[in-house]
Parts: sequence; C-alpha cells; structure tokens
Amino acid sequence: MTRKISTLLSILLAVSFVLAACAPAAVTATEAPVAPAPATGKTVLKVWSFTNEINTVAIAFEGKHPDVDVQYTMIPMTNGEYQTKLKAALGTADAPDVIALEASFVKSYVESDMLADLGSLLPDAKAANTYTFVTDVGSNAGVTKAFAYQATPGALFYRRSLAIEYFGTDDPAKIQELLSDMDKYAAAAATVKEKSGGNTYMVASSGDFQNPFFSNRAQPWVVDGNLVVDPMVEKYIATAKLFRDNGYEAQAQQWQEGWFAGMNDSLVDANGNAKKVFSYFLPTWGLPYVLAPNAKSADGAHDTSGDWAVITGPLPYQWGGTWLGILKDSPNMDLAKEFIRFSTLDEETLTNWATGVYTNDYLKAIDPNVAPDQQQAPGDFVSSQNVVEKITASFDNSDLSKFLGGQNSYAGFAAAAPSVNAKLLQGSDDAIQRALNDPINQYLNGAMTLDEMWAAWKDAVRNEFPDLIIP
Amino acid sequence: MQTLAKFRRNYFGVLFLVPFILAFLLFGLFPVYNTIALSFTDTTLMTSNANFIGLKNFQRLFADGVFINAIKNTWLLWILNFIPQIGIAMLLSVWFTNARLRIKAVGVWRALFFLPNLLMPAAVASLFFSLFSYFGPMNQFLVRNGFLPEAMQFLQSKEIARGLVIFIQWWMWFGNTIIILMAGMTSVPLTLYEAAMVDGASATQMFRHITLPLLKPILIYIFVTSLVGGMQMFDIPYLLTDGRGAPASSILTNNMLMYLKFSSSQGHIGAASSVGVMIFLMTSVCSLGIFYFLRDKDSKISHQMKF
Repeated sequence: MTRKISTLLSILLAVSFVLAACAPAAVTATEAPVAPAPATGKTVLKVWSFTNEINTVAIAFEGKHPDVDVQYTMIPMTNGEYQTKLKAALGTADAPDVIALEASFVKSYVESDMLADLGSLLPDAKAANTYTFVTDVGSNAGVTKAFAYQATPGALFYRRSLAIEYFGTDDPAKIQELLSDMDKYAAAAATVKEKSGGNTYMVASSGDFQNPFFSNRAQPWVVDGNLVVDPMVEKYIATAKLFRDNGYEAQAQQWQEGWFAGMNDSLVDANGNAKKVFSYFLPTWGLPYVLAPNAKSADGAHDTSGDWAVITGPLPYQWGGTWLGILKDSPNMDLAKEFIRFSTLDEETLTNWATGVYTNDYLKAIDPNVAPDQQQAPGDFVSSQNVVEKITASFDNSDLSKFLGGQNSYAGFAAAAPSVNAKLLQGSDDAIQRALNDPINQYLNGAMTLDEMWAAWKDAVRNEFPDLIIP
Repeated sequence: MQTLAKFRRNYFGVLFLVPFILAFLLFGLFPVYNTIALSFTDTTLMTSNANFIGLKNFQRLFADGVFINAIKNTWLLWILNFIPQIGIAMLLSVWFTNARLRIKAVGVWRALFFLPNLLMPAAVASLFFSLFSYFGPMNQFLVRNGFLPEAMQFLQSKEIARGLVIFIQWWMWFGNTIIILMAGMTSVPLTLYEAAMVDGASATQMFRHITLPLLKPILIYIFVTSLVGGMQMFDIPYLLTDGRGAPASSILTNNMLMYLKFSSSQGHIGAASSVGVMIFLMTSVCSLGIFYFLRDKDSKISHQMKF
C-alpha cells in the first residue's frame, strides 16, 4: 500500500512539477507592453496597432509636434486578438483615435460606418502619386477612409547556392523562366527533391502559396451575397495536396518555429537530419522584417545572408500591408488627420521611413524612453510612387542588396507595383480564408475527403455570416 | 402594519444589503437581461441599426451541426477531465487525511499539486503547443527513441488535441479539488471514525458510510462549480490550436463558438448572445438537476419542499 502511494505521488509530482517548471519560459512571449502614462499638458492622440512598426513614425510625429503625446498601444493579431479588442472598444471612451488596419480586415472597416471620411486628404495622395491600388483598398463606394504608407507586391525568394546545385544557375532571369507558373514550380519541386535526396524542400509550407493563388482569382469570395469558390481556389488545394503527398513541402506552419528555421538552414527533422528549404513566397515587407532578420540562426552557427535572390515567381500577387484610418467619433479629428497625412502621404516622412533615417538614436533624441529595438531599418516599400522613383537607385549598394547577392529588390518591386490589383479584397475575406485553413489541413492529412472539406468549411462560414447564401 | 414593524426591525439589515443588491442588479442581472434581449436581434458591432428577428438566431443555431457539435465537445471535454479529476483528488485527499497512513509533509504535496493552477492558461497552452508542434521536442523525443516511425502532426489529430485539452484541464484543476475535498474531510468529527473503528469497520466502510455522506455538500459544490466552469471552457482549447477549434472542430467549445460569432468580421453580437442564452439554460437545468439528485433525502427541509 505504502509503496503504491509513494509511486503515485511521485508520478503526479513529476508531472506537475516538470511541466510547471517549463511553463514560465513561455510567459515572456505573451507579456504585453504597458502603455506609457499620459504626459501632462499635451494633447493625447491614441494610436492602436498590431506591431511596433508604426510607433516609430508616431515618435517622429511627436518630434514635429512637441505639444502632442501619441499614446501607442500594440495588440498582437495572431489569432485575431487585435480585431476583437478593437471591436470591443468601438463606441466606448477607451476607443483610440487612429487605428492600424491590416490587409485581411481593412475592408470590413472601410465598408462599415465606423471610420471617418478622409476625402480631404485625397489631394495630398495625388501630389505624392500614391499607388492606385493602395487608395482603392482604403475606399468603399467612392469614399476614401484609409491610407497606407506601404505598397506590398509579392515575390519569390530563393537560395542561390541551392539553385546552382539543382538547376546549374542562380541567375534570377533564368530561374524566373524555370518557375514562371505553378505547374513549372511543381515540376521544379520534383527536381529539387530528387537531386537533394529529399533533404531540400521546395517550400516550407504549402500555406506559402495560398496568397499567390488567392490573388489571382477571377472573382471575389462573395458575389451578390453568394459564396463563390473560384477555380483558382480549387487549383490551390490540388497543388497543396500534390506538395504534401510528394513531400515537396516541409510541413512547417507559417510563422511557426520550423518555418523560420528553414530560412537559416537550422531546420532539423525529428530524427536529427538537417533539412533545407529552397524558396519562400514573401512580399516587400517580408524581406526586411522576416527573411533578413531570420537568415542567421539564434546560435550563430548558420547564416544564409547573401545567398538569396528574388524573382516575381510563378504568380503575381500582393500580400498584407497596413492601412491607417480614424474612428468616426474621434475627439481629435484634425490632429488625427494630420497624423495620417504625416505618416502615409508626406514624401519626406516616407523617404525617411524607407531609407533608414529613423534610427534608434534619431528616435531617442525625441523620446529618451524609447525601447532599444525601436527603429525603422531601410528597405520598406512605400506607397508613394514619387518617393519610390526617387530612392530606388540608393538601394543599389544597400545592406538588403548585399543580402540578395547584389540584386536591387527595390527596383524589382517598383516594376511590379503599378500592376498590382486589389479590387478583389472584401471585408469578409479574412474570416472566410481563416475558416478554410483547418479543413485544408485535414484534407492534406487524409483525415477528410475533398467533399467533407468543403462541407466543413461551408458550415464554419455559415456560422460567421448568417446572411450569406451558401450553395 | 405587521410587515412595517418587521421592516423596522430589519431596517439596518436591509440597509447593509443595498450595495450588494445594486451591484447585482447592475452587473449581474442587467447583463443577463441584455444578453437575452440581444439574442432576439441581428445586432452587429459594425453597423449602427439592429432589427428584432424573433427566434431566427436560435433556428440558425440548430440549422447545421456546428452548435450541436460544440455542445457535444464541451460535455465530452468536461466529463473526461472531471472523472479523473474527482477520482484522483478523492483518493489523494483520503490518503492525506487518513490518520493511519500519516503521510509526511502533506502541506508541501498539496501545494505542489496546486501549483499548475497558478500558471496562466495562455502560458500553459503555448507551452503545450510548442511541445507538440511538428518540429517540436515531443516529436524529436518519440522518433529518436523509436516510439514513432516518423514525426506526426499531433495537433492535427482530433483524439490527441482532445486528449491534450483534457489532460491540461485535469492537471491544472485536480490540486484545487484536493484542497476543497481535504477541507471537507478534516471537518468530519474524528469521534465518528473512532466509534466506527471500535465497531470493527473497515477503511472502505468508513469511507462509504461516514466520509461520503458527510461530504455531500462539498461534493455538490465541486460538481456545480466544475460544471459551470466546464460549460464555459475557453482559454485552453482556444489557445492550443487556431482559436477555431481545429483540428476538424474537435475542441470547439460553446464559449469558443460564442466568441467566434462575436469576433466575426461584422461582430454578430446578436447571434453570439443566442449561444450565451443556450449555455445559460443548459447550465441552469443541469445545476438544478445536481442539487435535486444529490439533495439530502432524509432531512426535513427536502420533505417539505417536495421537488
């Protein structure tokens, strides 16, 4: 009896204690930054966003307007927390003045009555020659309610050394020819797998090419209140299945550990074998924010900087981007409008933003309390065509060009940006696409048939859109 | 006249109750009323006008399998974590309070078992998410030691995802149940056990005929609070996967469904309220059921009440 008791006690203890000891490490990741206390005697402008990025321009704004205190709040949006928090605050005293809106949900706000009309800023947009699709996304029924400081055409990034190994060349023009459509891309995936003995994956996750496929649909998800599945969506699912069944993808999830590990060759499968990833589908912001910071592994053992190249890839697409709007009931309407003009339409700000003027030291001179990692590295692709044309040449010898083996990515994006079409974007896109992810995973795993997958998706969509007609 | 006199006599008592009653009306009853009222409308957060649509929200809940599936999931996850939770907590509490076993450092054990309860659910969920991810340590451990032929997508398997939620809920809450049960058990007079021992009763008999009956009020409390908590299970299943009940809606609970409707791109709070009303009804009926079935059948009060 006593022995049984002590055995059970020790097992339970081990279970509670070991796991409890592991947990606190995870806490730091979820800790939210505390909003600074309001400074006295200043007009307070409340800005909410889902990254720390806009805080840089907010501090620069304070530098130009010393009588203004911009209260910046960052809420992550991994599982939609930002949108939830924002919706809960609408119409309350806690509501912010200026809100950042990501591409996936900007349309639902632009289509609603929640945002103020920013038509008075249109002349500034015209003067800065803002890309049409950027203004299109921020407009609904002829009324413009949001502007963006970025334009976000997409591209395909690949590893030069691996390209030489498997295709005999790393020349972007030749590789583009080799990967100019998705069928060719799949054929190349087979080559990569065969020549690497299965140790290099064409792509980290089939989710990577979801955006390119969705951007090339002929019709949006909702047409006259009906849910529509474009043939491009079906083609995406068929391609994803092909990649899963043939082992062309690493089965990493976007934004998870394995996905990042592939960028610096530190990806290791469960047996301890090193695996490599040949290519990543990433847009403009993906280069400075995602690929470049992750090209070096945490332990410093692997570094793929300089080994990358960029091409348009199999399908032209655009991905992400952040728009700024003002809540209709903002008590500081004029100031908020000035903030939006300053951060999205002012050529000087955008030039500073893209060329790395906003360093940590620059921000510290304005606000000594700024966090040591708050800054804007050069290379973000901005929404003003005037600025883009003016600064493109300055990136010929930039760090990002060195990262791409001498290729000026800015020039490539500048060529692609005018042809980007964002007319398919709708407010319901985000929820409809989120609802599709899990059924697709189930189908790729073989846990669901194609019909079951569509049925599960339609049930989920019906739950969130009670008025939608679903065939 | 008599009532007035009574009122005068209780005057101060009533005065002391006023703050509670006000707070309850404002923060307890009004939200319930408001939720019920909202559930008959198509109110959204993104539009300013709302219409009365009768029972349409409820009809829609039952029109497809999603809501029924959420209820099934919630019950399954609650029952499968509650049975081992109360079982193990009961066993440990009996051992800890047993005068014959005299286990040392009971307070330390109890504190250690309670420890997981102090952790933030968000941290626990992200810990398990990392442990069981495709490139995570669990896969490495199992594959390198030959338990699995190749890495598997743990969190894309219905059974494993459910098992993880059940395990986490059990692990986080059994220490809490131990503390409540032990409090109940130590309040049973020792003389009863001494008398039983004199009469030659075995440990099992003492447990069945002394401990259990006298523990009934505590058990009812544990049942009802756990049921209410279980029916509102949200944080762990929400944070463990994609927040939509993946894989295949296997860990989609009532509250997650309510939250999904609330956080949809339009913010359908009318439809979300109808889910809330259904959870409220279900929990109320079941709690009353527990009170009824576990009522003290011998006491005078229950005879008078005649359920």
